[in-house]
Amino acid sequence: MNKVGKDEAGMKTLLMGNEAIARGAVEAGVKVGVGYPGTPSTEVGEVLGDLAGDLGFYFEWSINEKVAIDVASGAALTGARTMVMMKNAGLNVAMDTFATLPYTGVRGGLVIVVADDPGAHYSSTEQDTRPIAQYAEMPCLEPKDQQQAKDMAREAFDLSERMEMPIFLRSVTRLSHASGDVVFGEIEKASREVGWNKHFKLPFRWAVYGPPEGAAGRHGWLKKKYPEFLAESEKSLFNNLQIVPGSPVAIVSSGVATSYVNDALTALKKKGACSILEIGFVYPPPEEKMKKILDAADTILVVEDGNPMLENKLKELASDAGLHKKIIGRGSKAVIPTFNELNPDLVISVVADLLGVEYSFAVVPEETRKKADELTIPRSSALCAGCPHLGSYAGLARVIKKYGKELLIVNGDIGCYEQGGYGVAAQVITPTDNATKKYPVASPYEILDTTYVMGSGIGQAIGERRALGDNASKKVVAVAGDSTFFHACLPALADASLYNADITFLVLDNSWTCMTGHQPSPRSRVNAMGGEVPALDIAAVCRAMGVKFVKVADAYNLEEATEAIDEAISYQGFSVVILTGECVLQVLRREGVVEPKTHVREDVCIGCKQCVAIGCPAVTFDPEKKKAGIDPLLCVDCGLCIQVCPVNAIVTE
Amino acid sequence: MELDVIICGVGGQGSVRASHILAEAAINAGNRARVGETFGAAMRGGKVSSHVRIGDVYGPLVRERSADIIVAQEPLEGMRIGRKYAAPDGVVILNPPPVYPVDVSTGNAVYPPVDEIEETLRGLAGTVAVVNGTTIAREIGNPRSMNIVMLGAAYGTGLITFDRQILLDVIAAAFKPKFKELNEKAFLAGEKAYKDAVS
Repeated sequence: MNKVGKDEAGMKTLLMGNEAIARGAVEAGVKVGVGYPGTPSTEVGEVLGDLAGDLGFYFEWSINEKVAIDVASGAALTGARTMVMMKNAGLNVAMDTFATLPYTGVRGGLVIVVADDPGAHYSSTEQDTRPIAQYAEMPCLEPKDQQQAKDMAREAFDLSERMEMPIFLRSVTRLSHASGDVVFGEIEKASREVGWNKHFKLPFRWAVYGPPEGAAGRHGWLKKKYPEFLAESEKSLFNNLQIVPGSPVAIVSSGVATSYVNDALTALKKKGACSILEIGFVYPPPEEKMKKILDAADTILVVEDGNPMLENKLKELASDAGLHKKIIGRGSKAVIPTFNELNPDLVISVVADLLGVEYSFAVVPEETRKKADELTIPRSSALCAGCPHLGSYAGLARVIKKYGKELLIVNGDIGCYEQGGYGVAAQVITPTDNATKKYPVASPYEILDTTYVMGSGIGQAIGERRALGDNASKKVVAVAGDSTFFHACLPALADASLYNADITFLVLDNSWTCMTGHQPSPRSRVNAMGGEVPALDIAAVCRAMGVKFVKVADAYNLEEATEAIDEAISYQGFSVVILTGECVLQVLRREGVVEPKTHVREDVCIGCKQCVAIGCPAVTFDPEKKKAGIDPLLCVDCGLCIQVCPVNAIVTE
Repeated sequence: MELDVIICGVGGQGSVRASHILAEAAINAGNRARVGETFGAAMRGGKVSSHVRIGDVYGPLVRERSADIIVAQEPLEGMRIGRKYAAPDGVVILNPPPVYPVDVSTGNAVYPPVDEIEETLRGLAGTVAVVNGTTIAREIGNPRSMNIVMLGAAYGTGLITFDRQILLDVIAAAFKPKFKELNEKAFLAGEKAYKDAVS
């Protein structure tokens, strides 16, 4: 069994933040777990899925976050302890239910885990979801380290049941994808009654429009609960106030920023030198404790990862009390950059400034720094060697070349294939201000024109095509993977089909949700708990939606893929091509790694680099010899490079 | 003990695994520990670095120019991390075989000469030790144990002060039992290779 599920209170071990959150749910006796994979939140669900069978609860990866939060809230209304997890962007997908849920509250403990990504390591935006919890008027906790992540997740279920309200647990990359020592607590064995009462404590409790007062009345009910939330925050052990009498300065921090502050104070040997307020219960924040900090110090530094939410609250409290204090952070008079994630260097420099102490690190001699910069070339993100998307993109690149001057927009989406819009970092791009301009596509990493969020590509393709008019030479394409297809493309698919938008939609079906670490998709024939399920048929879904042109082609058969894409693009009306090829890493995992046979006959190679243009990391090129090569450590014998070589220099014997 | 270590390389080389092993062992030896992972979205071939902090530590990230040990499983990544994090009196352990980025194969960049990387790192850190973990792992009979060879080399610095056996126990538990002996060999070979490299 995964160590996270061990019934060993007192055991101390290394846990990733996400594992710690899952452990908190296990200790609370979670009954239903649900989510949609999204970095950096995924491992919370992976661990729960792994443990569900052993510990006797239910876990599913839902089709998207909106479904996940609906499944979760349904479970919680019956009284079941439930955890739902998603990434920052996932909360946007779940927003409708999320923003409405506090109007009824819940009966069973419901913990909504959202992992933000300051620095946007894995995300389309840096959005801070704490203000979104505030907007929904839902209590929000934010842990400072892995131990607290476990403790908060555990405690959040009790809080949720006491207040009959979902609890928002905000994490960030540096918490979720960082590890620390965690001491396990007891696993709660008490069984709770799961049942149904439609008038639970209020008439028509679970109908927001319900009598007697409707939704506005429900909003009033929620407002009346605020003092209860605030009282919980005031007494919460997750808020730590230390007043140092006589110190004119103070530091207020939340989440992982608290850990950076503690590191800074330790390094500067200034622990206990100023008043501090560590806030773990971030919405509503503990107003009385904040007022005490305002009374104690004249200058207050606020350190938080994201928006200046606590900083602005502190300013509001100061203003209400008629206090003139210097409150600095990321808001007006920012001393910390207003974008990108916090880091220990940034925090130690502002803390040192606040305390009036010197801090500097060893400066690298100018010459060495210049040389080091010169040697540090980029390492661009690339698709894996033998990835089926390389085949799909090679086919699409051939079709783009064939259509030459005809306008061809390729809309991307979110998944491994989004790397088709990353470019190659070392390549120099010169933007122009023309309204229309064609650019050559030299590698799969520059094939996509747009990448926004899950499901946006196909809808944007419809808009582009409508705006460009009915000229047949204006070709517009969208791509999406199998998991994304079911997650967010179905409504746009219906739209394109119903109104017969003249666009081509390519579904890159590799049978798994790969980018987040190979969670099952509706194509995988397995669920998150390891059980067998049927695969959903993408072509049949398209046909049922009324799509007249639907083709399936093998992503590893370049000729077949090219022909299908070409035919679809020349078709007048909405066309769909499903390019199939299972994720090569999953195939290798199942079938084992074998010594590759593919190699280049250097005497035959003419150095045309058509194999290099596929963008496979296993295909190398020696600029001196002007010969291609195959890296035997990476190659998986997929055969794509063999198909593009014009002189048959790449062989497998 | 108080120690900041960064293990860096390319996705698939096992640097995240190695960092978790080191931190788990540190905890078992009675310390507090943190690991901060930095890797891109792609599964394979991306740049990866993992910060391991042991002692009176709170946050998961090492400050600039304060890594006591940098374990570079790949030279370009060693350069990338070394230029920012190497402490002036710190140690860099360099595994020299390059893993070429797509920037190089597409002709947009030239891979920097490994000897120049080594020389530049000498200007940044107190000690640079070249340990060919890739070759040593292959000779031992398990090419995938390169990360364990490099972990052994890090132990060879003497800066990790808890008992070797604590690390070996965590390594044994982290892999299938059939790899126990090979990994132990890999670890000890790495430790020796470090000592040979600096002697």
